[in-house]
Amino acid sequence: MELFLQFCINGLMLGMMYALVAVGFTLFFGVLDVIVFSHGDTVMIGAFGGLSMYWWLGAVYPGLSLTWTVLWVFLAAALAVTVVGTLVARFLIMPLRKAPPLNTLLATMMLGTVLREAIRLFFPDGSNPKPFPHLLPEWSWQSGSLTLRFDNALLFLSGAVMIVLVHLLITRTRLGMAIRAVAQDEEAAQLMGVNFTMIVLATFALGSVVAAFAGVMNGLYYNEINFGMGLLLGAIGFSAAVIGGLGNIYGAILGGFIFAFLQTLGAVALPFASAYKDVFAFGSVIALMAVRPTGLIAEPSSQRV
Amino acid sequence: MRHHPSRDLIIPGPAGCVLMATALLAWSILFLKAEEQIPILVYMISGSLLVLVAALSDLHKSISATISSNESSWDKCMTLTLLALILIFHDDHYTLFLLGTIMVYATAVLGLNVQLGYTGVINFSAASFFGIGSYTAAMSSAAGLPSLPALLLGGIVAALVGCVLLLPVLRTSGHYAALVTMAFALLFRVFLEVNEWFGGPQGIAVAPLTLFGLDFSQDMQLWGIEFSFYVKYDLACLLLLVLAFGFVRRLERSWLGLSMDAVRCDETAGACFGVDIARWKITAFTVGNLLSGLAGALYAMMLAYISPANFAFPDSLLFLSILLLGGMGNNWGVILATVFVVVIPEKFQVIQEYRYLIYAALVLFMILYRPMGLLPRKARNYGRLS
Amino acid sequence: MKTLFFTRALFVCLALLGLLMADPALAAKKSVKVGFIGPLTGGVSANGLGGRNSAELAVMERNEDPSAKFLYEFTALDDECKPNIGVQVGTKMGADRKVIGAVTHYCSAVALSVVDIYHRFGLPVIVWGAVQPDITYGNDYPEVMRICGTMINQNEEAAKFMRSQGYKKFAILHDTTDYGKSHKDFFSKYLTENGGEILGVFGVTSDQQDFTAELTKIKSLNPEVIYFGGLTPLGVRIRSQMDKLGIKAQFEGTSGIKSDAFIEGLGKNLAEGSLSFIEGTPTEKLPGGKKFLESYKSRNFSQGPEAYGAFAYAAMVRILDAIEAVGPDRKKVTATLNATKDVDTLVGKVTFDDHGQNIVPAISKYVVQDGVWVLWEDSEYGSGKRRLKH
Repeated sequence: MELFLQFCINGLMLGMMYALVAVGFTLFFGVLDVIVFSHGDTVMIGAFGGLSMYWWLGAVYPGLSLTWTVLWVFLAAALAVTVVGTLVARFLIMPLRKAPPLNTLLATMMLGTVLREAIRLFFPDGSNPKPFPHLLPEWSWQSGSLTLRFDNALLFLSGAVMIVLVHLLITRTRLGMAIRAVAQDEEAAQLMGVNFTMIVLATFALGSVVAAFAGVMNGLYYNEINFGMGLLLGAIGFSAAVIGGLGNIYGAILGGFIFAFLQTLGAVALPFASAYKDVFAFGSVIALMAVRPTGLIAEPSSQRV
Repeated sequence: MRHHPSRDLIIPGPAGCVLMATALLAWSILFLKAEEQIPILVYMISGSLLVLVAALSDLHKSISATISSNESSWDKCMTLTLLALILIFHDDHYTLFLLGTIMVYATAVLGLNVQLGYTGVINFSAASFFGIGSYTAAMSSAAGLPSLPALLLGGIVAALVGCVLLLPVLRTSGHYAALVTMAFALLFRVFLEVNEWFGGPQGIAVAPLTLFGLDFSQDMQLWGIEFSFYVKYDLACLLLLVLAFGFVRRLERSWLGLSMDAVRCDETAGACFGVDIARWKITAFTVGNLLSGLAGALYAMMLAYISPANFAFPDSLLFLSILLLGGMGNNWGVILATVFVVVIPEKFQVIQEYRYLIYAALVLFMILYRPMGLLPRKARNYGRLS
Repeated sequence: MKTLFFTRALFVCLALLGLLMADPALAAKKSVKVGFIGPLTGGVSANGLGGRNSAELAVMERNEDPSAKFLYEFTALDDECKPNIGVQVGTKMGADRKVIGAVTHYCSAVALSVVDIYHRFGLPVIVWGAVQPDITYGNDYPEVMRICGTMINQNEEAAKFMRSQGYKKFAILHDTTDYGKSHKDFFSKYLTENGGEILGVFGVTSDQQDFTAELTKIKSLNPEVIYFGGLTPLGVRIRSQMDKLGIKAQFEGTSGIKSDAFIEGLGKNLAEGSLSFIEGTPTEKLPGGKKFLESYKSRNFSQGPEAYGAFAYAAMVRILDAIEAVGPDRKKVTATLNATKDVDTLVGKVTFDDHGQNIVPAISKYVVQDGVWVLWEDSEYGSGKRRLKH
């Protein structure tokens, strides 16, 4: 029972991380109908941005309290990723808007490679993994084989708060209304006086902040970051967004948790070898697509002819 | 109406083809022979300048007019050019290996072209099917099957495994289909690595190609001239490429190709006019995988050793970027882009660890500024079939 | 204007030519090419770049030595840790008759796929980082030698040592690359031969981030030791996630985690007490080891030498010595290298057996103590002052 609970907790943490990445994918798809495959690598940039800030703080303001450090680290990550995200949106995604979807997909995959290799080559000693500092209180509660950690709970909760905030922003604010308007019909939205470029950039900024959060969360959870961490995270985030149904935030969250569940199940329940867990997870994704070709929560716009 | 100067500039018929092929041959020899960075740069820049001049003036129109009005002579000229290159570099193992790689990759991408360029079936796992061909060749020749059947089996098994993906590929479209094949590509590599039957992560040796008692992995001497063993492999690759090329060109021109075009351009309209969408998607997907598998099998025999690292997701992306760079749907574009993608990183080993970064950035710029590729596909031309 | 430009250009050219002529050493010495192949891009490029820099360092030092008979030209090629690219660059190096010898390969799959080619072209190579036994023992090619040990020696020593420390129950984690999988195979073999018990074996992919599922399962098995066969990045993640889950078992790694990045990645406290086994004697203990590290530092390479840099350096020095002795002739260099016996190098005494394998006299056992990898015998753990986890 305790073992089962432990698996659930692990799976939930993993699922939250995937969900945060998948939300970015689905946001971008919603407004522009594009898949920004480099999103996973944007998460990595966020983690490295946060780490740089931590180093800088350590050099300039030694002895800063943990709370402020965490806040600054997150702000730096958000800033770094927002700059990268909006630049990418303005100079890569917008010009490619009318291109076939395959072009955008390949272009953003190549962009991911560029980001990855750039960190590897130009970040100090970038090809080796970097330690990410422990910045959260490390209380833990043990019961048999079950370990509950306060920092994990905090991360999970703030992840949930992040998602709720994004949801509120989308559904309750004027900006959110404009984003939804653009997602529904970009021409009509423009006719109603919505500044299309600004909204697209705002969406990318929003997605980037979520990615930065995911990056810092990843760092705080694993206490280790490396230049290649975004590749698989991107592939999984994309899978999660697609199995949930592109363009739907609930779908992305659902997809994230489903993927984490599949992976954990693969590692735990496969009798012969846990190494097959990715084969199992991706195989299940393929099977799922055969049954529900437009994802679990189908986007209504996919029916337009 | 503006007068077309190209009409006056057409280099007459087959002679023009021969002339252009000879020029191309000469440039390729110089470029492939070059080893120092400065000559390589000089040849590259002069080559690109020539292309630029041709593109800016009306020369390119006359060139393409000459080619399209004399297609069969152009095909023959290019085959002869490749043959000449193989013979000229008969003892230069490395260049021959590069040529072989180009031809094998081109064959595989031609398969991808049938899927994506003709029919619009997205496939992000081309390298996986290439790999299935390789592994089938390795396993079946290890089990004692002669080379030729092993080679053919490589293609057939790739096509059969592709059938597993048929249902999800048929039902999904766009990004959803991209995910299905991407998931397959990721799964395929992990599968090869974790199981014990196919040599595991460290890979597996492949028996050399042996045809009619002729061992392809031995150097040979003819008329007192030393021939690298790669000459034999290159000839086999050339044969496969010519067959594949002829096949996909015929496919393109036939009513089958027309149906595939209809599927790509507008499924709904096509279905209204009685085109069976599912049928053509299945055909295209299977034919494409067959070609990839055949190419993979031959490549495995030439390499003599394969491992899962060769058939990962980034390799599928490589195939895709070749197709996109060349121009979706254009078979000549595929060959041109393969040459670029295989040869240029090799000639620039001097930038070493920055190679991958620069390669990715180049593809990125290419997609941004020339989204239709180097040689965009043209509208059908039934007028000048010869 | 134009004439002025040409005059200037001519002047510059003449000046350059003059400079070249003025240097008698450059003009007099015959130039000889030596090569290096390793992964310079992708996931394991840190090791590849460290190896390349170390090999290049050997060539630089030799070229600065006025008594050297030849001027050495260094070419490095990138095999991307992929067999097909390995065959491509191996063919390039082998077919280039000007290359007399090369230091090649970090990835075993690549090395296995290229050995035939070196034999075909008669190019003598010394493998510097790939540890799969079959690279030397799977063939009879005189051209292929290896300066680093195989994973057989390493794991036999590791298994015996762990048993001698009183550990009995092991859980094995390994990455699914050839490196991790072969380590798992050999360690399991020697562990069961020596009476150890394996509770579970878990394969993980080399780009995996999250190991909590595997580790939770391991936790429920309650092993005394978690053995990890793989490289630093995964080692760091697994060790830190062990801590998150409150697993108290002893962490034991292979040569792949013996790097400063492992300790840096974990921090002093978490890394404390981690074990690793590596072939050869530690660099700083050997005559010339300090000099190597200082010389390496002074060249301002962007990357440290990593665990196998010293092997690449020593291998390159062997090749250069052989060329100095018998001249730039592949056959003679191969014969000279094959006859290597009890030669002092940066990585200890080197002797090639009839398969060209260096018979490494000792496996060094390392333990992390206060943020540094310390030789077991010199450590407070070895002296009994501190204790491993039980």
